[in-house]
Amino acid sequence: MSKWMAYLHRISGTALAVFLPVHFWALGLGLEMDGFLAWTEQPLVKFAEWGLVVLLAAHLGGGLRVLALEFLPWRDWQKGLAAAAAAVAFAAGLAFALALLGSGAFAQSWPQKPVRFIVPFPPGGATDISARLLGEKLTQIWGQTVVIENRGGAGGGVGAAEAARAAPDGYTLFFPSGSVVTANQHIYAKLNYDPEKDFVPVTNVVSGPQVLVVPAGSPYKSVKALVDAAKASPGRLTFGHAGIGSQTHLAAENFLYQAKADAVSVPYKGEGPALAGLVGGETTFALTNLAASIGHVNAGRLRALGITSRTEAPQLPGVPPIASTLPGFENAGWFGIVAPAGTPKEIIAKVYQDTKKALDTTEMKARFYAQGLAPVGNSPEEFATAMKAETALWANVVKERNIHVQ
Amino acid sequence: MSAKAQSLLWIAQRASAAVLAVCVLVHLATIIYAVQGGLSAAEILGRTRGNAAWLAFYSIFVLGVAVHAPIGLRSVFIEWLGWRGKSRDRVLLVFSVILLAMGMRAVLALFA
Repeated sequence: MSKWMAYLHRISGTALAVFLPVHFWALGLGLEMDGFLAWTEQPLVKFAEWGLVVLLAAHLGGGLRVLALEFLPWRDWQKGLAAAAAAVAFAAGLAFALALLGSGAFAQSWPQKPVRFIVPFPPGGATDISARLLGEKLTQIWGQTVVIENRGGAGGGVGAAEAARAAPDGYTLFFPSGSVVTANQHIYAKLNYDPEKDFVPVTNVVSGPQVLVVPAGSPYKSVKALVDAAKASPGRLTFGHAGIGSQTHLAAENFLYQAKADAVSVPYKGEGPALAGLVGGETTFALTNLAASIGHVNAGRLRALGITSRTEAPQLPGVPPIASTLPGFENAGWFGIVAPAGTPKEIIAKVYQDTKKALDTTEMKARFYAQGLAPVGNSPEEFATAMKAETALWANVVKERNIHVQ
Repeated sequence: MSAKAQSLLWIAQRASAAVLAVCVLVHLATIIYAVQGGLSAAEILGRTRGNAAWLAFYSIFVLGVAVHAPIGLRSVFIEWLGWRGKSRDRVLLVFSVILLAMGMRAVLALFA
C-alpha cells in the first residue's frame, strides 16, 4: 500500500511537472481570457482538465501521507486512512469546481461576437418579422448584435440546409416557421437536411393565427363567396404561398381540404413575395400569417375575409373566424429557434432563458401583439414534445392532400 | 551533496508543498468566481492590473512551483533513472529557472 502510494505520488508529480510549463506557456502567450474559457469546452481540453484534477488529487493525497508519516505520531493505518480521506475530499472539491467551471464558462462567456439568425424566407414575411423583433431585444440583452440572414427558397429548405451545416458553436441559430422542421420531411422526396437529427429545439418564440386575404379589388367579399367560386370552377382560382410545404401553403391546403374545394397552388420564395404577388393581382387569394398581412389589410391593399383562429383576432376586428363558414376549421402558425445539433447545452439553455426573458417584457408582448402574434417561450423539452406531435399531424395532412415534391 | 544541503532541500520541499496547497485552492476559487460572475477578459484584467496584492500572491505561487517541482523531480531522477551528480542538478536548476521565468511572464502579463 505504502509503496504504491509513494509510486503514485512520484508519477503524478512528474506529470504535473510536464504540464506546468505548458500551462505557463499558454498563459504567457497572452491568450485572450474569454477565448481561453471557450477553448476549455473542447472535448480534448476537458479531458485534459479532468486528468489534471486526478493528478492534483493523487499528488496532494500522497503528499499529505508523507507529511503525516513524518510529522504525526499516528499508527500507519490511521495515516493511510487520513491521506486517502484527504485525497478523496480534494478530488471531490476539484471535480465540483471544474464541473461548475465547465457548465458556467461557456454560457457566461457566450456570446463574444455577433449571433446569426438564419431565417429561411425573404424579408417581409411573418418569420422574418418575428426574428427581427426578437433579435432587437436579444441584441440589448447580450450586448452583441443579432444579425438576421434571409435565405429563402425550397419552402425553407435552402436556409435549413445552411443552418444544419453551420458550426454548432451557438453563433448560428436557425429561426424557422414550424412547417420547415415538422412538415417538409413528409413533402420533399429529397431534403438536404434532417429536421430531427440536424437540429435541437431551443424554444417556440411566437404563434399566431392566419388570415384569408384577397386583393382589395377582388370580387370575393366573404369566405363563402370564395369557397363557392372555387367549387364552381375547380382549378380556376389560384393561391399564393411562401413555398411548397410552408405554413402558408399547408394552411391553404388544409382550408381547401375542409372546404372540399380546389385551387391552383402558386409557390413563391417567401411570404413577403407571395403577398406582393397577391397585391399585384397575380393570384386570387392567400392564407397568410396575420403578422405578415396585417399591414397590407390596414393600408387597404388587401381585404381580410376570415381568420383561422376560433374567435376573432382583436387586431382585425370585424373579420370573422373561417370556422363560422367551415365549422371546426382552425389553423395556427408558429416561429421558433432551433440550433445546429451539437450546440453546447449551456448555450441552448442561455438562448432559451434570455428569449423567455425578452418575451416576458411588456414591450415585446405589445410589439408582437400588434403583429397578431402571441409569445410562447416554452422550454426546450416542451418544444421538442410539441414538434414531435406536430410532425405526426402534418404527416397525416400531407398524405391526405397528396402534397409531394420530387 | 552535503547533509546540510540535503536537509535544506527536504525543508524547502515540505514548506513549498504547504504553500502550494493553499495557493492552488485560492487560485481555483478565483477562477470560479471570475467565470461564474461572468467577468469579461477586460474586467478581469481591470482588477488584476496594477494590483500589488495579486502580483504578490501569484509571485509566491510561481516561486513555490519553481522550488517544489525540481526537488520532486530530483528524487524521481534518482529512484527511476539512477541519475546522480552535478549534471542532474544543473538540468534541474535550468528547469527551475524556466518555470520561474515562464510563470513570472504570465503573472506580469496579468499585472502590467
